[in-house]
Amino acid sequence: MSGQASGPAPTATLGAPVTRRRREFLPTVFKFQSLFGLVLVFAAAVVYSPTKNGQVLFLDSGNLFNVVRSISEIGILAVGMTLVILIGGIDLSVGSVLGLASVGSASLLVDNGFGVVPVVLIVLAIGLGFGVVQGVAIATFGIQAFIVTLAGMQIARGLARIFSGGQAIAITYGDGPGQAPVVFSLLGERTFGGLVPIPALIFIAVAAVAVVLLRVTSFSRHVYAIGGNEKAARLSGVPVMRVKIVVFGICGLLAALAGIVHAGQLNFGGPNDGTGYELDAIAAVVIGGTSLSGGRGSVAGTVAGALLVGVLRNILALRNIDSNIQLLIIGLVIVLAAGLQQFRPASVS
Amino acid sequence: MIGVTKSFGGVRAVAGADFSVRAGEVHALLGENGAGKSTLMKVLSGEVGGYRGEIRIGGDPVRFTSPADAQRAGIAMIHQELDLVPALSVAENVFLGREPKTAFGTVDRRRMLRETAAQLDRTGVAIDPRRPVEQLRTGEQQLVTIVKALSLDARVLIMDEPTSALSAHEVDRLFAVIAGLRRGGSGIVYISHRMEEIGKVADRATVLRNGEVVAEFDARSMTAAQASEAMVGRPVHLMFRAADRGRPPGEDLLRIENLAVRRSRPGRRDPAGISLRVARGEIVGLAGLLGAGRTELLETLYGVGAKGPWQGRIILGGKEIRPRGPRQALRLGIALVPEDRRIAGLALEHSVLANTVMSIVDRIALLGLVSRRRERSAARASTERLGVKLASLADPVGSLSGGNQQKVVLGRNLLTEPRLLLLDEPTRGVDVGAKAEIYRLLGEAASQGVGVLLASSEPAELVGVCHRVIVLRDGRGRYELDTGKVSEADLLAASMGEGAVEGLVVGGAE
Repeated sequence: MSGQASGPAPTATLGAPVTRRRREFLPTVFKFQSLFGLVLVFAAAVVYSPTKNGQVLFLDSGNLFNVVRSISEIGILAVGMTLVILIGGIDLSVGSVLGLASVGSASLLVDNGFGVVPVVLIVLAIGLGFGVVQGVAIATFGIQAFIVTLAGMQIARGLARIFSGGQAIAITYGDGPGQAPVVFSLLGERTFGGLVPIPALIFIAVAAVAVVLLRVTSFSRHVYAIGGNEKAARLSGVPVMRVKIVVFGICGLLAALAGIVHAGQLNFGGPNDGTGYELDAIAAVVIGGTSLSGGRGSVAGTVAGALLVGVLRNILALRNIDSNIQLLIIGLVIVLAAGLQQFRPASVS
Repeated sequence: MIGVTKSFGGVRAVAGADFSVRAGEVHALLGENGAGKSTLMKVLSGEVGGYRGEIRIGGDPVRFTSPADAQRAGIAMIHQELDLVPALSVAENVFLGREPKTAFGTVDRRRMLRETAAQLDRTGVAIDPRRPVEQLRTGEQQLVTIVKALSLDARVLIMDEPTSALSAHEVDRLFAVIAGLRRGGSGIVYISHRMEEIGKVADRATVLRNGEVVAEFDARSMTAAQASEAMVGRPVHLMFRAADRGRPPGEDLLRIENLAVRRSRPGRRDPAGISLRVARGEIVGLAGLLGAGRTELLETLYGVGAKGPWQGRIILGGKEIRPRGPRQALRLGIALVPEDRRIAGLALEHSVLANTVMSIVDRIALLGLVSRRRERSAARASTERLGVKLASLADPVGSLSGGNQQKVVLGRNLLTEPRLLLLDEPTRGVDVGAKAEIYRLLGEAASQGVGVLLASSEPAELVGVCHRVIVLRDGRGRYELDTGKVSEADLLAASMGEGAVEGLVVGGAE
């Protein structure tokens, strides 16, 4: 360093662009941390993938779409969770709301003979309402999101069990009584020549809408402002309460959507569906580089984070690695992702 | 400290600085924000390592690896940022990390309370040591940090802007304490932006600019002009009296009639019968000691804080209003630059751009969609008008100097095109150059017909910038002073309620 300072002028002028480039390069890496991670894991998966007749099994298009399908429910939850975490909150209820929605869908379709459209609308409305009530409790009474949604988690799970009598409700398709309209079974199907699973499409659509929403709307500016400094946001005229309620509402709505997808994929609604999913969703958000303290992160990061976990699980399964070992590896990835955030170049002196 | 150099990344914060403190001396350290004062002192107090150069205490070279290390060597620092644990009591904060123990190994609470009370008493601070720090006002918290550092019995005590949140009265108390320490043989490093304090309290003054020592003065004979010139590197002309005071104030914009709010929150002084008026184009100052109710009055006008029983009237532009919250206040044309920009003003990690347009994203959005181009052009216009020094609008606002941060907050408020601009200590922790610019901007806004209500603890600022000053005490308006006729000393005396100034009062505000 001293050489640079006391050295001849040309050294100093040469030095400047280098440091400058480095300064711009590092934040870029950190900004797209999960994307870089995804690329790394993807490359590793290609290398370690078992092959059959010279074909890399991992790269088989059917397998790749399976990866997307496998993360579609968690991914949909994680998109809503990203919004919640961006405002500095947390939503522990999404797994239970997924279960409630799953049971609700099955019950309304099979026991009550509702059509698909009313069922979807009713279930989405239930999820939205659940989220809004939690949002109101958090925003107007000032109770911590952790506590409110912890309670919400118990309540939604309880409702799911009461609703179903504790039994999973099987969905059979047909025109007769006690049978669900065949359309609903599409959720377990693939489209585009049997290639692309419908749940993957739904997840991609949700993520795309969220990415755009978080880029171009004044709502998104409010979300980030609240996460960055809630007090400053309020004093600057950001409608803090309204934004919080809307964000928790969206999160509940997406949890219900994930529940519908869940029921459609498995052809039943179980009262214990989605148990622990909230933590998987939080993991995807964290791996995606969104700060748990709020104000920093993106849906694109979350999508990459969810895909990263999906690819990892997939390749470990292809290599027949014990599922318990998989848990260890996923755990390490979460710690690594969060740890990397600590090395993020200090933006505040 | 000899030849101390410290770089962060590629930026050299301190470059070969020599600095010394003698026993029984108060040595002032001056410089604009970013000049390297805090970094130099953090090297001395062991908070910043990895520097080049040498530190000697009593002739022996030392190299501290942690603040605890430096404290053992008798060096303590009072930080500009208040490093207190909000939920703990005053006494617990004072003894944090070195709690006295009983014979059973539990914390000796009684001794802690007793010694804290004694120390508070010596310092002349009337705060209950059992109160949680979070219930105290900013200035009171600052006093607690000072008491905490004093209780360390340090040989060298570094004070980084210890008076930024203190009222004039409390500053005098602090100076008495400093005088006592000096007599006791302690060396004190005193960092401040307030020039008038330096002459009162310090023996020597050293000026830093861009990390280098550029001048040393005898603090008693140094003039403000000399010091500012050394700090800025060029003569500074416009310091105070920047507001265009020749302009006759227009018709009443704001009239407050006997306003009283009862919210009874701990540590707060809600308006208890305040009447005042602000004309279009007029800058009215709010003076008073800490806890006189300046902040609370501004908050009431802006509609923040808990709701409570309400008396009196607020009339804005001829219509009676009852502010219910920032959104409504902004719609009515009221804007607030809050007291602590780091806590209530800015999302520090977010970009200058995002912080600047925070209040107007709704307004520049069409059907809820924001155009990046419009955001950027609004932010650029604002930062250019206010002369914010930055490399890019995408820079995190926390990376700017205090003065530039404050300009971002002010710029955000001006973008809302307010009729009434409320400011709470807008120049706290702001360097001389940025201060002058903020005054210029206030004058500019006023000349365009904006009414300004400026709460400040700096008498020089109030006298220099305002047309009139209202002196508050105990949540009431006590005096109304015409700044054309009173001096800073009169203002101070009025704040403390000394009868000698009665003759200067041009109109009782009650």
